[in-house]
Amino acid sequence: MTDKRYVWAGILLAGSLLLYGCSTPETPKDLLAPTDTQLKIRSMQTRAFELTDRNTAMRGVIASLQDLGFIIERANEPLGLVTAARFAEPNYYDVVSVTVTVRQDTKDKLAVRVNAIYNSKPIDDPKVYQNFFASLERSLFLTKK
Amino acid sequence: MRIGVCLTLLVLPTGCVSHTEPTELFQLTAETPKHRAMQTRFFETPNEKELLSAAAAVLQDLGFQVEESVREVGFLRATKERSAREYGQYIQQALLLILSLGKLLTPVDLHQKIAAGLITRPLNQEATRQEVRIVFYRVVWKGDGQTNNQYIPPGQQYMEMIWDPEIYQQFFAKLSKAVFLEAHTI
Repeated sequence: MTDKRYVWAGILLAGSLLLYGCSTPETPKDLLAPTDTQLKIRSMQTRAFELTDRNTAMRGVIASLQDLGFIIERANEPLGLVTAARFAEPNYYDVVSVTVTVRQDTKDKLAVRVNAIYNSKPIDDPKVYQNFFASLERSLFLTKK
Repeated sequence: MRIGVCLTLLVLPTGCVSHTEPTELFQLTAETPKHRAMQTRFFETPNEKELLSAAAAVLQDLGFQVEESVREVGFLRATKERSAREYGQYIQQALLLILSLGKLLTPVDLHQKIAAGLITRPLNQEATRQEVRIVFYRVVWKGDGQTNNQYIPPGQQYMEMIWDPEIYQQFFAKLSKAVFLEAHTI
């Protein structure tokens, strides 16, 4: 008699678990689909320069980051990657980190993309990127001379 | 009463840390050229690789461990860890403890990591002139403390850029000796 009771209890438990499993929401189909904001952010983070030598461009990126007070953390020449960070002086608890990629866009153009993060939150203020590219342009112009 | 006023005056400046907007952090300031001049020297040499390896050797001489190096873009990152204890801070801590009647125990600096980021780069098309730029900064870890009945756990961290020109001058003096070349200021 007791054995049967256990069996019923087991069935009930399994049933309730199954029901619970069915109630999870369906994954939205457009979860990884590109959105308008994504495109907008990408275009404001990217700028093309009329340069062919990627190494020079990377050195220009590093120099302008140093001018802006960033500390270079990592660089990878084959991939055209530079990672840097700085503290939001005079406040040492806020951190800004950036990743810059330099890659061939067309035959005579290089695309520079910069991602900036402020305290683990992405920066989507276009002004920040405009400022960065203004300083990069200066630095690239100086290197070209 | 007076002690209270003194204490609030001491505490106020640390409480009023303003946040810097990210837009400001991506702009060149009036200080930029001054910092660049202090951190940069150029050498009349076509050999960037040798300059970079000499710089690594000088950093080793100064007790640094090289953590990251990328020859293609002339990049080195090195760190060294040292004690950050200073007598002045202990005296200040004791004074504050007495002034606050044993209620305030400010954390003191215990440990620090001094780091250097170094970049070499050719200055002209023929690459006969090389520029070296180095940035020193340090990260400091604090010990534990107490305010009123609240315990401040150890490990609080802060960072500061090193702006002492002497440190940069010393580094470049050593580097120019290592490569048998004169270090020119920009």
